[in-house]
Amino acid sequence: MIEIEDLHKHFGAVRALDGVSLSVAAGEVVCLIGPSGSGKSTLLRCINFLEEPTSGVVRVNGKRVGWEEHDGRARRVSSAELARTRAEIGMVFQHFYLWPHMIALENVIEGLVTVKGMRVSEAAAKGRALLEKVGLTDKMETYPEHLSGGQRQRVAIARALAMDPRVMLFDEPTSSLDPELVGEVLRVMEQVAGEGMTMLVATHEMGFARKAADRVVFLDQGRILEVGTPKEIFGRPRHERTRRFLEKILV
Amino acid sequence: MQLDFGVAWKYLPFLLQAALMTIALTVLSQALGTIAAFFLALARMSPRAWLRRPTIAYIWVVRGTPLLLHLFFVYYAAPAFGVTLDAFPAAIIAMSASAAAYNAEIIRAGLQAVHRGQVEAAYAVGMRYGQVVRRIIVPQAVRIIIPSYMGNAISHTKNSSLASVITVPELMLTAQMIYSSTYRAIEILTVTGAIYLVLTSCLSALQMYCERLTAYEQRGLGGGRRRRLRLDEPLPTLPA
Repeated sequence: MIEIEDLHKHFGAVRALDGVSLSVAAGEVVCLIGPSGSGKSTLLRCINFLEEPTSGVVRVNGKRVGWEEHDGRARRVSSAELARTRAEIGMVFQHFYLWPHMIALENVIEGLVTVKGMRVSEAAAKGRALLEKVGLTDKMETYPEHLSGGQRQRVAIARALAMDPRVMLFDEPTSSLDPELVGEVLRVMEQVAGEGMTMLVATHEMGFARKAADRVVFLDQGRILEVGTPKEIFGRPRHERTRRFLEKILV
Repeated sequence: MQLDFGVAWKYLPFLLQAALMTIALTVLSQALGTIAAFFLALARMSPRAWLRRPTIAYIWVVRGTPLLLHLFFVYYAAPAFGVTLDAFPAAIIAMSASAAAYNAEIIRAGLQAVHRGQVEAAYAVGMRYGQVVRRIIVPQAVRIIIPSYMGNAISHTKNSSLASVITVPELMLTAQMIYSSTYRAIEILTVTGAIYLVLTSCLSALQMYCERLTAYEQRGLGGGRRRRLRLDEPLPTLPA
């Protein structure tokens, strides 16, 4: 579902991504772990082209993101085409980024109405069902400002789900939450994973990775150091670097 | 010294007539200036240098030179380019150009105050640039912009008095003509000042109204919005 080949992203002299290759099968849940600055966010942001990779190829559902290939020559796609590709890739941000001028329900259906051209009444039916699914039946008409972090993130997940994405990217979805609010978000993510969604999740929640991930990827300094099942990575990491990271985080 | 406001009363209809001209001048140039300013602001933020640089230069020149000069310039320089402008259109051009430069910076500040993450979230659901501007940036920016925009509109209203120098029969010029024939400067200027004060007070009131209107999280949802969003209907179930 997602294929990444030799992805590089340089910010000046900094190599945020230094040759990352990874493929994620349909329905698979892959967790990205690693220290801050290891490139987890950058990798996710390159997948939907919020960040333009310096080099390398990203394919989602067989289609190259940001570029199209004609007779072996690659060309940048139009902004319309890029938008269509992004609509198929759901993204959940660390800081939620709900739109503050819209109530929760409007946040969820905005993409359906503006991007997919769905009628508001029709989109609202879908949006309300999604908010019910993430446990926010009584918060539909609340502005983000009046929601807790956990509630905001669940609205953000519903917003991404509304577009019926092929894959979902989660960029540290619980890192800015109060500890007691982490669980409600993780439960929704587990539910989404259980429904067969292809997910790529950058996270520091090792409990979630252990429980929900099919594979865990350890990133360090813009490179993939090791990939394995949660059992392998958490049970017997092969690299010293992974071991030290896990020791620090699993105290 | 004896004051005689009877004179002012007698000439009040002329002053009110002139006030209409001041309103026309201000509203028209502010409207044109705002539309132009919106696009100038977008160009000013563009990553494309050929859009950005001329815009920066335009704002620099127009904000850095007096409106009085622009008025003279448009009015007296236009014939050199083969067009003769009446005073009113010349004033509209000069004042719109000035309003555009000032408002461009105000609008830019508002647009840039919208968090980058808001914009990224919009791109991530598949919106295009125009949709992001229309649905995400502008509605939030408007609220941020209102106080400084209205403050500038008030200055702009008062600055319309400068158009008197190129013979636009607006409030200030009319007042001057009246007191130079009646020698009742104090009375006429007092009444004229009061008229300006009424005009700018209307703008202050409009500002408060707009601020209330955009305090979205403090207002309830309107009935139309509730109906469209079907908030009062029973919950639908998701098709499996």
